[in-house]
Amino acid sequence: MSLNGKRILIAKPGLDGHDVGAKIIALALRDAGADVIYTGLRRTPDYIARVAVDEDVDAVGLSILSGSHKELVEETVRCLNELDAGDIRLFVGGTIPAEDHDELRDAGARGIFTAEMTINDVVAALDAELSA
Amino acid sequence: MSGTSRNPRRNLSRALSRIANADVYETLAQQSGPSAENLPRIGITGAPGAGKSSLIARLAKLRKRNDRKIAVLAVDPSSPVSQGSILGDRIRMDAIADDPDIFIRSIPSRRAHDGLADNTADLLNAMEGHGFGEIILETVGVGQAEYTIRTLVDTVVLILVPHSGDAIQAMKAGILEMADIYVVNKADLPGADLMATEIEQVADHQSADGWTPPVIMTSRNDPEGFAALDDAINAHMAWQVNHGDPAAARRARARYQAQALISRRIDEVLEAAGEDILDQNPGELFDAIVARLGRTNEA
Repeated sequence: MSLNGKRILIAKPGLDGHDVGAKIIALALRDAGADVIYTGLRRTPDYIARVAVDEDVDAVGLSILSGSHKELVEETVRCLNELDAGDIRLFVGGTIPAEDHDELRDAGARGIFTAEMTINDVVAALDAELSA
Repeated sequence: MSGTSRNPRRNLSRALSRIANADVYETLAQQSGPSAENLPRIGITGAPGAGKSSLIARLAKLRKRNDRKIAVLAVDPSSPVSQGSILGDRIRMDAIADDPDIFIRSIPSRRAHDGLADNTADLLNAMEGHGFGEIILETVGVGQAEYTIRTLVDTVVLILVPHSGDAIQAMKAGILEMADIYVVNKADLPGADLMATEIEQVADHQSADGWTPPVIMTSRNDPEGFAALDDAINAHMAWQVNHGDPAAARRARARYQAQALISRRIDEVLEAAGEDILDQNPGELFDAIVARLGRTNEA
């Protein structure tokens, strides 16, 4: 299992100010071989999509603890499409209630990572999606 | 999805990925001739934590005046263990990260051990012809030997911080001799003046070619320092127009590029050959590597 050569953007959209989870994931992905870019806190979906394009990433991981995951995922997908980058795979992590998962998948999220999952689960899921 | 995007920025960033990921033969096949545009290139280097990325953010804002767009290529170190990396320069360029006139691309150093990345020369060439007016290259945090940036850019800016006296000793025979402009960053910290004096002594010995590298103090709350750096870069570029040796610079770049490719080709040969090839004495191993250099990995 290796993410060697994969470029992944870890992004914090919206207003929540907690990025310990995002940073832990970023380091775990690096240790799995990926090249990881982190946006920093409180970024707009438009900004995240533009960074994803400029950095030519394979995947964007949104870390969201604020509860606004539906709006933020939809908006990020819209911004990526606007930049002709709808093929960049989108993942969501954070406090995401199970009843919202289907809706997020319908909106374009390729994977949803919650606190119950181990780091290895996350890496394995990304690996499977990105080598497909 | 491959092919051409309707978004020109996406085409550029994908082209950069193709170059960054190319092996030696792919790189040679993709290489185009010398660029017609010849954009001015500024190289920013210095020890880890000296403030290179933050300084580039301030500098790029000043340099982009008069509709001039700026491209930044920022190299971060790859982990020798996992080969992965955290490309953290962008987050320090917060002030310009949202500016559509500034293109920032982060790349991992991969196999390169010279403060740059695999195929840096080709990446810089590929950034030409996209409407930028200038390119800024940021190295990984360097020690003393990584001065190959000298051959790839027109103006080398070396960032130092107060109380890096020991670092200066170590750098005396390396990057310290190669800089066109010195910056004492974080100059609001104690010891900055002493540091600047020490550097000025080094710089004075360096004016053999007629350019005496200026020493500039910068700190985050002092816009004048960054303006002085901006002016110094302009002055060095103007000086080069009359005193630079473009033929020598071109030759140095060609030499660096060829050497970097051959060095990577050796890595490729060794990786493809497997461990058994190393069960020879160095002389036999040398011959074995040389014999395979010209072949493809499949051969």
